[in-house]
Amino acid sequence: MNQVASALAAPAAKTPGKEGTSVLGWVLHNVVWIWLVALVVIFGLFNQYFFTTFNLQNIMVQATVLGMIGLAVALPLLVAEIDLSLPANLGFSSAIGAMAYSNLGLPWFLAMLVGVGVATLIGFFNGLCITKLRMVSLIQTLSMMIILQGALLALTQGRTITNLPDGYVWIGQAAIGGWPVMPIIFVVALVAMAVMLRKTVLGRSIYAVGGNPVASNSAGIRVDRVKIITFTIAGFLAGVGGFLLGSWQMAITSNQGSSYLLYAIAAPIIGGVSVFGGRGNVVGVLGGVLLLTVIQVGLAIIAVPSFYVGMIGGFMIFIAVAIDAIRVRYFG
Amino acid sequence: MTAASAVASQQDPFILRVENLTKRYGPVLALNDVSLGIRRGTIHGLLGENGAGKSTLVSLISGQRTPTSGTIFLDGRAIASVDIKAMEEAGVFLVTQEPMIVDHLTAAENLMLGIWPSSGGFVRWSKLRADAARMLEGTGIDPQAMAGRLDAVARRKLNILRAMFSGGKIIILDEPTAALTVEDRAQLFSFMRDLKAQGVTFIFISHYNDEILEICDACSVLRDGVLAGGTENVKGLTSEQLSELVLGRGLVLFQRERRQFDTEPAAVSLRSVVSAGVRVEALDLHAGEIVGFTGLPGAGAKELVRAVFGLVPVRSGTIAFADEAPHKLPASPRDAFDAGIAFLSDDRHRDGLVKHMTISENISLSSLVSLARSGFLSNDAERNLSDRYFEAMGIKAPGPSTTVDTLSGGNQQKVCLGRVLATKPRLLILDEPTRGIDVGVKQDVLRIIDDLSRSGVAVIIVSTDTDEIVRSVDRVCIFDGGAVREELSGAAITNERLRQGTTSHG
Ligand SMILES: Nc1ncnc2c1ncn2[C@@H]1O[C@H](COP(=O)(O)OP(=O)(O)OP(=O)(O)O)[C@@H](O)[C@H]1O
Ligand SMILES: [Mg+2]
Repeated sequence: MNQVASALAAPAAKTPGKEGTSVLGWVLHNVVWIWLVALVVIFGLFNQYFFTTFNLQNIMVQATVLGMIGLAVALPLLVAEIDLSLPANLGFSSAIGAMAYSNLGLPWFLAMLVGVGVATLIGFFNGLCITKLRMVSLIQTLSMMIILQGALLALTQGRTITNLPDGYVWIGQAAIGGWPVMPIIFVVALVAMAVMLRKTVLGRSIYAVGGNPVASNSAGIRVDRVKIITFTIAGFLAGVGGFLLGSWQMAITSNQGSSYLLYAIAAPIIGGVSVFGGRGNVVGVLGGVLLLTVIQVGLAIIAVPSFYVGMIGGFMIFIAVAIDAIRVRYFG
Repeated sequence: MTAASAVASQQDPFILRVENLTKRYGPVLALNDVSLGIRRGTIHGLLGENGAGKSTLVSLISGQRTPTSGTIFLDGRAIASVDIKAMEEAGVFLVTQEPMIVDHLTAAENLMLGIWPSSGGFVRWSKLRADAARMLEGTGIDPQAMAGRLDAVARRKLNILRAMFSGGKIIILDEPTAALTVEDRAQLFSFMRDLKAQGVTFIFISHYNDEILEICDACSVLRDGVLAGGTENVKGLTSEQLSELVLGRGLVLFQRERRQFDTEPAAVSLRSVVSAGVRVEALDLHAGEIVGFTGLPGAGAKELVRAVFGLVPVRSGTIAFADEAPHKLPASPRDAFDAGIAFLSDDRHRDGLVKHMTISENISLSSLVSLARSGFLSNDAERNLSDRYFEAMGIKAPGPSTTVDTLSGGNQQKVCLGRVLATKPRLLILDEPTRGIDVGVKQDVLRIIDDLSRSGVAVIIVSTDTDEIVRSVDRVCIFDGGAVREELSGAAITNERLRQGTTSHG
């Protein structure tokens, strides 16, 4: 995983003209990674267990679902919109997938695809509302979030779905030589999204639309279409994340996914995806995801009472947003 | 005012002085050890090529940015720490090169931004509205209009008026006349003269020699961040001498060899175009022809080209290329580009550039599809394209991968122009193409457009700069009431004739 990170980080660091020239600029641009290393060392000093292979595997697995949803959240942010409904979409769509298996009797694979398809459609629908109806994404997706949370509760009648087939839960449990398989999906998604953003017309258009939608329109970019596509891909990623979460936990609760909301939004922002659009990359999202995961796991391992975990998580988000603001202000 | 400063202000003939002023942006030395003084009650011109450091200098004087080193003296007193608010309170007002407008406030509120009439902390709205209405009298701007809906020129005027009515002692105007009509310009100048008579001092930045000669008393020239010269008596200079002072070499003004296209078949035919403010029955353009559009604001020139490019909805209208069948006008800029129509907006700030992207990314932005194979961008193709236009436009920057928001205004304009030219259009529409571009590069740009026309492109240049039109076109369409009121071609195209055509009494 670290190799992948550095392999991906290398081309990003080479992007010319974007890095600050001063030491402070360099620190601010890489603050996530510096912070991450520092925390790993600190947690390791507190508790030797932190450095065990088992814990590393644990972090990788934990980071996978947050990573999928973090990538999803990053996309609308890049076009200067936001989708708050993605974590709820993750939970709802996985329940649909599970019920397609249990109630319709579809094979697990098809049922899973139905779930992911529903998630993708919901993303597409959000995109339509925001572009064609000119709804404000913050409010539109907030209401979508409430609808989906409610729908999940209604679907499950408050019960937890546990009768998931072996095929469905395989990816969440499988290991090769002791190493979990699930993170591979995240790595694939990460690489695919990095390629999409850096190498394709769509990726360039996403950055342009986020940077200046009016100029992008005049430059011949179909702004609405680009926005709809980003919401749709975000929905798809949430759907896959939902499948992975269900598979890993071997259960779908009546509020599946909801607990991810804050962290899913925090991860890309900590990783340097600007809430004003047009800035940020996949490597940053990875950094944000790993940082938040390490904090969660680390706080648990050094036995910080659970009452404090939420507060510290909140502080993390606050600091991250403040750093983002400072960086944009002084280093563009 | 303390006794000491009162004495100082009597002794110092300079209301404003800067000493050894330097501004560094990382490796870029934007301003290098500049010292100069501005005399009380004069209009002081500031000249120089694009990227010479003019905007940087006035941003330091007005407290928008902090100098790397050097001192600023106001009334003979060194200013310890300059910030915008403090400088405005000391009577220094800057009208920046790019409009500074809060889009969702009204025109009236923008005029009074930060200088609201208030009592006890409450804004006095009735006074604000009355004052604003008085200031906007005769400008045609509705005080209650949302600033975001105003066009580029109107937004610019709001900034200028705010400074003019501020009661400031020193008013700095950074290229205020770009895209202003002849009439607006005359109005601005008479306004400046009135204020000057009341003792107000001006710093006036412009790329137009005739303006400098007309309005300025003294001038200073910057070149590559260094003070390269100046004079206490501008009136003693000719336009050629001024150009030479700016460029450090003689200037050959470009003049197109006009051609007649009457007998040739039309390459682009517009028919019954009707949209807001436009009612054009028929307009033909020929391959290789350059047509100038002028007219007062709202006369229909700008409105027509925006409609042809698909930026505003049209009620009716068709376009036909050569002997192809007529089509509906494009519904969006994308459709327009696909049909071979390219458009340069007159407002690079709002709809020309993605500022935090690089020069290269901006140049290729309208050509992405042609630079890609099955959706994947080709790095080589993109580099070729952006390098070519980076060179051709003479963009002054460390390289094509420099971010656009660090460029000077004129260099940003070149990037915009490069993006539009790179699309290889059949119909090229340029709205104020040389806005903010210095005299030297302007000739290069006109030459590039001239060359393009030789390859068979039909070109429309919309401009309020009559001299530029005279030098670059074959035919002129003067707009009035949404339609072409008069056409000039050949020897009939002269500065005088155009000035008449673009004043309301003409
Ligand atoms: N934030 C910045 N970062 C890096 N370089 C900058 C920045 N702002 C300005 N510069 C550089 O400083 C130089 C001077 O720019 P400035 O805007 O003062 O030029 P100017 O004389 O106003 O030109 P123009 O006529 O085009 O408006 C330019 O080379 C520009 O690229
Ligand atoms: Mg400037």
